[in-house]
Amino acid sequence: MEAILGLFREAVAEENGHKLAQAITPVAPPDDAGRLYAFHRALNVHNIQADLRNEIIYKNSVRLARTETNAWIEVFTCYWRAIGELLAVDGAMNQGKRVDWKKVYEAWKELLNALQRGYTSNQFEAWTIPCLYTSGKYLRNFALKADEQARSVEGNVTYNQGLQDDVVSTLGKNENLQDAARQINRIFGLCLSDRSALEESRKWGVYYVTNLLFKIYFKLNSISLCKNLLRSIAVSSSDMPPLDAFPKAHQVTFNYYSGVLFFLEEDYKKAENFLNEAWSSCHKDARKNRELILTYLIPCRFVTSHKLPSPALLALYPRLECLFGTMVRSIKRADLAGFDAALSAGEPEFVKRRIYLTLERGRDIVLRNLLRKVFLVGGFDPLKEGQTEADAVRRTRIPVAEFAAAMRLSLGQNNGEVLDDDEVECMIANMIYKGSMKGYISRERRMVVLSKGASAFPGTSL
Amino acid sequence: MTPWQSTMTGKTFKFVPVTIPSNLSAQTAYTSVSARRTLEQPNAIPPTPQPAKKVAWPAPVREYVQRSFAPEARIPGIEVAEMEIKLKTVITEAAESERMTEIDWSTLPLPQQLIQQERAMASTWTSQGPVWDLPDTNDFMPMKKRKIEDNYVTLAEATSSGSPPWRKNEKNNGHADRITQSKGQASKAEKRARKQQEALGKGSSKFQQQVEQRKRRFGYDQNDDSPPPWPAARDASPINDEPIGPIVGTCQKLEKNYFRLVNHPKPEEIRPQPVLEQTLLLLKEKWRAERNYQYICDQFKSMRQDLTVQHIKNGFTIEVYELHARIALEWKDLGEYNQCQTQLRALYSLNLGGHPAEFLAYRILYFIHTCNRTGLNDVLADLTLELKQQNPLRHALAMRSALASGNYHKFFQLYLEVPNMGAYLVDQFLTRERIAALANICKAYIPKVSIKFLTEELGFESYMEAHDFLAQQLEGTSAEDAINADEFVLETRKAAPVFEAAKARAFATVDIKGQI
Repeated sequence: MEAILGLFREAVAEENGHKLAQAITPVAPPDDAGRLYAFHRALNVHNIQADLRNEIIYKNSVRLARTETNAWIEVFTCYWRAIGELLAVDGAMNQGKRVDWKKVYEAWKELLNALQRGYTSNQFEAWTIPCLYTSGKYLRNFALKADEQARSVEGNVTYNQGLQDDVVSTLGKNENLQDAARQINRIFGLCLSDRSALEESRKWGVYYVTNLLFKIYFKLNSISLCKNLLRSIAVSSSDMPPLDAFPKAHQVTFNYYSGVLFFLEEDYKKAENFLNEAWSSCHKDARKNRELILTYLIPCRFVTSHKLPSPALLALYPRLECLFGTMVRSIKRADLAGFDAALSAGEPEFVKRRIYLTLERGRDIVLRNLLRKVFLVGGFDPLKEGQTEADAVRRTRIPVAEFAAAMRLSLGQNNGEVLDDDEVECMIANMIYKGSMKGYISRERRMVVLSKGASAFPGTSL
Repeated sequence: MTPWQSTMTGKTFKFVPVTIPSNLSAQTAYTSVSARRTLEQPNAIPPTPQPAKKVAWPAPVREYVQRSFAPEARIPGIEVAEMEIKLKTVITEAAESERMTEIDWSTLPLPQQLIQQERAMASTWTSQGPVWDLPDTNDFMPMKKRKIEDNYVTLAEATSSGSPPWRKNEKNNGHADRITQSKGQASKAEKRARKQQEALGKGSSKFQQQVEQRKRRFGYDQNDDSPPPWPAARDASPINDEPIGPIVGTCQKLEKNYFRLVNHPKPEEIRPQPVLEQTLLLLKEKWRAERNYQYICDQFKSMRQDLTVQHIKNGFTIEVYELHARIALEWKDLGEYNQCQTQLRALYSLNLGGHPAEFLAYRILYFIHTCNRTGLNDVLADLTLELKQQNPLRHALAMRSALASGNYHKFFQLYLEVPNMGAYLVDQFLTRERIAALANICKAYIPKVSIKFLTEELGFESYMEAHDFLAQQLEGTSAEDAINADEFVLETRKAAPVFEAAKARAFATVDIKGQI
């Protein structure tokens, strides 16, 4: 008990929010593995109020207001109960018995609510908000565990129980996580709507809580709810501190999720900006995070600027090399068959990360590279009278048949399918339409006429 | 004769006209119907369709009136007088708008059913209003746990329990109520007392005023100050949050109209699975014979509801949803189709049989139509390797990837061989994709393309169809003269901007009623 409430008194004396948050974490520190157990044993239902009062008021060098003390007593009472449930689960697991994460979740929710009451009645000062972080973070964890347990018992479909018209309510058992999202959304409101002066405002918690909600909404596949958060933040942006005044950790996560959101909406330009921002402030040793950012930044740049990651960059991240390596190399080689194979081989993983539909568009770059090769191989128009080597112009009239031959070669076409010339024209038309290639098709002559000068393939020095 | 056929002719069958009393059937066509009613219901007020001129009501109308008064058709809670008024308006309206012969009187809901629907609507509206906009109340401000004595909850009771005390005086009431409050200048104690009264559900003046307003709005009898006889809105009562155990239905009727449930249903109103199976056969038959979509859709919805309250989820459930989805597709009712497909997705995950490949293929086509990337990504995630190899899915996936890579050539080739009922979905976005392809072609081909070429590339059935399509698209635009009829070609430079603009319009939000 001393370990935890001692920490609490210290934190209050120093006004150190993070230390305070450590006093209500459900994970024992490695150097004191028995801390939670000891805390739980030291108190019991009958004397908990009195004991906590003693610890929080009489042993404390700082005098807290009576109402604030009561609020903290409530918080620690809830904490004690939650720890009780957690230890019960721990014990049951050790004995191989059935565990009940739902109870832990419910008890932990009480803790979050106790904290929230403290804030809504203005008992707790803004420096204590790391407590909200810790309680919110673990609420999500416990909700995930409870859902996982429910899934293993009841299957993955939630049925309608009430007076609904249809059998199934939702696919996927996420009731607890959904509930957690609602709880944390209230915390979001609690932070965002604080009107105190900035230096003592809960507004400093906004981005942490937003990130937590992003995480949950992504898991729940309710992307649209993320947009609501961004909208709420945008509305109150005038009296919010600027994003770069927040801790780097909050910034990076926020930029990352915003980037992914725009990515999913196919607004690749904005997505790239956010992801670049996240990339540049991300700590260099935060491998996992850098990897995550690149997972979206790389496909994003396929689309925005037809740029591929360098082999050196991929070499630093074996997982990314595994994900994109083959694909990137076949794009470079203008190898349609290789690209298609890489895309379908990686499909399950790409779909899971929601990048499949974007990576698919990389095929345009393969095609562009292929057509460009045809153009290169075509060489120069024969010199006219009086022209010298320096005046040589690339051959800009290329028969569709030449492109068709190149595409057939690149596709391998060993699956019995035959690529007909009209389809080749269709693909060329696409390139022209999208601006990857400058020129036009003359249907009558079955000829592609490319733009003269150095602009047939914009952005590729040709 | 199979058992279900015999019930069709029996009296349990809802829409079969009730036996007409012999004295009446003997009467001639112009006999006013009110005569008979006074015989049967001496106390009822006769506000009947008493024709001013001698009008011979057509037989279907007379049957309709008779059905309305049939004792079986009575709906508890709806007074005969009220029904009569409704009946009168229905018939008068029909007569005035001269639609007497157009209306299909045999399928028109009875006046009491209309009233019930209106009430259901009314309670839905209130449920959407701010009154039920409950905050996430936890133990923070504990709400009174309301005891539910029976499942008959009046609106007044529901309000008092449904919204926490501090809300009631703030947002819930309109301006009118605030005026009353200030006029009254009630002391704090009085206010508190009133609040308490409200909480007890006795109905303060303020609350009653609201109820009155609502009544007036929906045209109910104002003199009747008893609580509204219909059950409260379903969201209003915490009753709905409580899971109800599966009901075991006992109803033997095959057909049933769909009404949104507002309260726990009675077993005698619910059809058990064996009866529903017969219903399905009957509906199949009826759809084939009559093609009355309104009726079929309504019947299917009531089937789905019966399955739901009985917690029936098995192969039969899938059969019902699949059939409803197919019929909705055929009728191009995408909203209803989408509801079924959402259900099917979850039901397939239980491995209960059905035709997952076929319907997942539709799902892909549907998401192409609605340009729903998130949805598409989810379908792709759902697909197993085994499923992907099945023909409908192979085809739908090929269509998707052809569109994604702008390969209109392949897309329109695939369009010519869409399996099952997928063509109904593809038809929904065919024009859009043709326009997109034309935007593409007009920019890439210079100076012209033959209409023959376009016919082949864009999956038209004939040159003329292609020509007419182009002409229709270009009509009234700056490129009206882009079709050169002599050479039978399209001049691309002229047409390009028109198709580009049309493409942008076509891809602007696709809005579908009932999309989830």
